[in-house]
Order: sequence, then structure tokens, then C-alpha cells
Amino acid sequence: MIRLENVSYSYSDGKPAIRDIYIEIRKGEYIGIIGRNGSGKSTLALHFNGLLKPGKGKVMVKGMDTRDISMLQEIRKIVGIVFQNPETQFIGRTVEEDLAFGPENLCLPPEEIRRRVERVLAEIGLENYRYHSPKTLSGGQGQCVALAGTLTMEPECLVFDEVSSMLDPDSGKLVLKHVKKLHEKEKTIIYITHNLEELHDADRIIVMDRGRIVLEGKTENVLSNPFLLDLGLTPPPLMDLAERLKKHGVMIPWEKTSSPSNFAEEICQLFLKT
Amino acid sequence: MQGPVFSFVPGDSFLHTLDPRTKLAAVMLLGILTFRTESFFGIVTLFVFFFALASISGLPARVFLRAVRPMILFIIFIFFAQLFFTKGHVLTSFWILNPSLEGLQNGLRLSARFILLLLFAALMTASTDPSAITSGIERMLRPLPLRWLGVNSFELATMMNLSISFLPILFERAERTKVAQASRGMYFGKNPLRSVSALAIPLIKGVIRDAEELALAMESRGYQGTRRTSIHELRMQRRDWISLFALILFADFMLRF
Repeated sequence: MIRLENVSYSYSDGKPAIRDIYIEIRKGEYIGIIGRNGSGKSTLALHFNGLLKPGKGKVMVKGMDTRDISMLQEIRKIVGIVFQNPETQFIGRTVEEDLAFGPENLCLPPEEIRRRVERVLAEIGLENYRYHSPKTLSGGQGQCVALAGTLTMEPECLVFDEVSSMLDPDSGKLVLKHVKKLHEKEKTIIYITHNLEELHDADRIIVMDRGRIVLEGKTENVLSNPFLLDLGLTPPPLMDLAERLKKHGVMIPWEKTSSPSNFAEEICQLFLKT
Repeated sequence: MQGPVFSFVPGDSFLHTLDPRTKLAAVMLLGILTFRTESFFGIVTLFVFFFALASISGLPARVFLRAVRPMILFIIFIFFAQLFFTKGHVLTSFWILNPSLEGLQNGLRLSARFILLLLFAALMTASTDPSAITSGIERMLRPLPLRWLGVNSFELATMMNLSISFLPILFERAERTKVAQASRGMYFGKNPLRSVSALAIPLIKGVIRDAEELALAMESRGYQGTRRTSIHELRMQRRDWISLFALILFADFMLRF
């Protein structure tokens, strides 16, 4: 669905931000992208729907090149991005108007805009905030509005660029719950973060460092890779614990490391067996 | 509820349901009428007209008081300037000041006109959602050849909407910068000029960064600065045409005096 071929991008001062990136994303996939601050993740995010054009290489979205200006509107219909700071993403004065902004740009008729706004408000659970100013909402609700504003464009693929980094843990979980639901609805998800714990549900993880892809593979294999520590990334505590137990001959299956309750359940079962 | 001056008060009165274009046109017409009316009878009639509209709107009186209050000093100044500096029949004499009868008339007339303007404007803004006002302005500007100025009505409307919604963020950011500077030992009372640069530079930097992020978010959601539709459908109803017609009749009646 999305293919990046040897993409490189440098800032205006000539400093390279990303180098020789090759990524192929299939429809319905859930991809996690991790890396430290300054590893080029956010610059990469802006390439997925043509907000940045590659200096070298090309980005193809469903066969459309992001360098082709006539295709940009079509590409943005397919790939939506939710950004880090909810406050600077609000355009409308009320939640309803903010949700309508995307479809208005697509020149949809008012009835269709209202239908989409209605549907997304119900889907994200924002019906009661319809006439509120998005600026008065909490960080988590605000990020849900930002997500909803992207969903009214009805994209097939959603890019989340460090959406939880300005939120408290509970709000972060709420956003992640919506991400999971969207993936179940067969949306393609690209989730960018520096918090490895958030990537448990991803199918595949790409690790970036200094603008390059340094590791790529199935979530299970990447999260248990000791190389992460060298890159300054801390593995999720439960994964770390499972790895340590493995060294003592106690095997905890990967699925059980998704939550403390699952983990505890598995340990209890092992105890009962012995 | 203590909202800012000229803020919208939701409701479902006759005035609330009128198309924003009708109300914009009405405010313009009433503005012209206010400044064309010379006689006291005319001004009193306009006040009566305002009270009639205000009672139809069902808006609380504080909405109107709030609109006039910040301007009251200015209005008093105009009144006294007219009273003392208009030549004519001297009423009485204090020290070097000679208030005249004509001055009293002019002062009262001018103050009344300003108050009327503020009241009519408050009536419109309190009964119309701000985004409906911008949609209305956009639709009214659409036939004008704005592209000669390098803009179009859609861009202007988006700009107006963004300015309205970004003002509170600007104030909040200014407050945050002030606190941040104060916590690093900045004393704002000491040298006001120095504090301006200490406040303005981080503030402007922050605002530019916010604007860049906002521009990315807008572009990502398909904004191109060209034609776009709106969730608020503007449609002139029968009541809009009837109101406009009634208003024109009223203006015609007023201008005959």
C-alpha cells in the first residue's frame, strides 16, 4: 500500500534527517516505528502523505508518487496523520467544526459532512463534547478529537506520530485502545513512539537510529532483542522479566507479556503445575 | 457567565435563526442610518428599534452593558469635548470653559450614536455563532474579485476563524512565558522595556512554532487554500427576505426626517 524506496531527506542546513529508508507497508498491517529523540522518526512520518517530499528516492502511496502535486489531495484522503501536540492541531472553534474541517477541504456536500461527523463522534465517544471548544478538553480527549478529525477524512491508513508523549498514562492507554480498534477494522496503522510498551499489538517493528533503519522484524523478536539497550531504548518491563526468567529455564509465552494480569496468571499456572 | 465582550450567547430566538448575511447587512444599514440621523426624534426612534430587537432576541441585558462598558470613558470624553468646544449660545461659564447649547446637543447626539453602534454590533455578535459570521462574510465576499489582491474569500474566512480561535492560545502562551521568566528571576516591575524583549522573543518564537505545526496539521487534512464547502449550510429563508425588506422600509422612513 505504501512503499518508500531509498528515501533520504536533509534539513535546509544540509544535515541529513533520514537516509536510505526502504519500507514496504501492506494493507491492514500494524507497524511500530521506534527510535530515540532525533532519530528521524517524525521526519519520516511527514513523508507518508507528502507533507515532506523526499530529497532522494520516492514514496509511493497506492501507486501514486507523493512528489506529484496533482495527486496530493488523493494521497491525503488515503493517509491521515495524528500529531504529537493536540493543541496545535485544532482548527475548528468547536469539536464539531474541527471534525468537519477535513471533509470541507474535500468539498463534500454539507449532508455528507454532517453524516461523517455524526458517525465519528459516536465511534470515538465524543457526542457529549460536540459543541465544546477542543481547547477546553483534557489532553487525552484532545488527542481523541485530533484522531477524530483525521477519521472524518475516512483514511485507509493512519500515522500516529508520538501521540501519547504529552499525555498522562491513562490518556495514552485510551488513545492506544482506539488505535487497536481501528486496526481491528482493517485500517493500516503506523504507530511512532519511543515507548516500547505501546507497541505490543504491532505486527512488525522498525527501529531507527540517526536517520537509518537499524533493526526490523516481528514485534516479539524486536522487543526481546538486546541490541535495543545499545540504542538507548528500554524494553518493556514485562518483556525484560520474561527474558530474565528464560535464563532460569522458566518460559513465559510472548502473548502473556502484554499485561501484568496475563503475566501473573501464567506464573500462577506454572506454580500449580509444579 | 462572564464571557468576553461581543461573545455569542446561544439561543433559539427569531434573531438567532436569521441567516448571518441578513444580520451583517442589517448592522451595516443600521450603522449608516445611525450616522445619517440628525434629529433627536430619529435617535430616540433608533433606540426604541434597538429595544424592540433586543426583546425579540431574549438576550440578557448584561450582554449589552458589557459591550458599552469598555467604551464608556471614550464616550464621556467625546461628550465633554463637544460640550465645551462647540461654538454657539453659551449656557454658562466656568473658568475658561464655556459650554454651549449646540455643544450639549452635539455631545448628546454623538455619544448616543456611538452607544447605538455598539448596541447593534453586540446584538449581532451575541445572536450569531462566530463561525456563522465568518461563513456569512465569506459568502458576501465571494463575488468580489479578491484574486487581484492575491487572496480568495475561502482563505480570508479560514484566516478569520483561526485568528478567533488562536487568540486565547496566544494569551495563555504569554502568561506561561511570563511565569517561566519570573521563575528565573525576571522582575517585571523594574524595567518595563527589558521585560518586553524578555517576553516578546520567546513568545514570538513559540507562536511561529505553533503556526508551523498548525499549518502541517491543516495541510495533512487536505487544506489547499482553494474552494471548500462548509458544514454550516447558509440558505436565505423567507424570514430573511422579509426582515431585510422591513428594514429597508424602516430606513426609508428614517431618512425622510
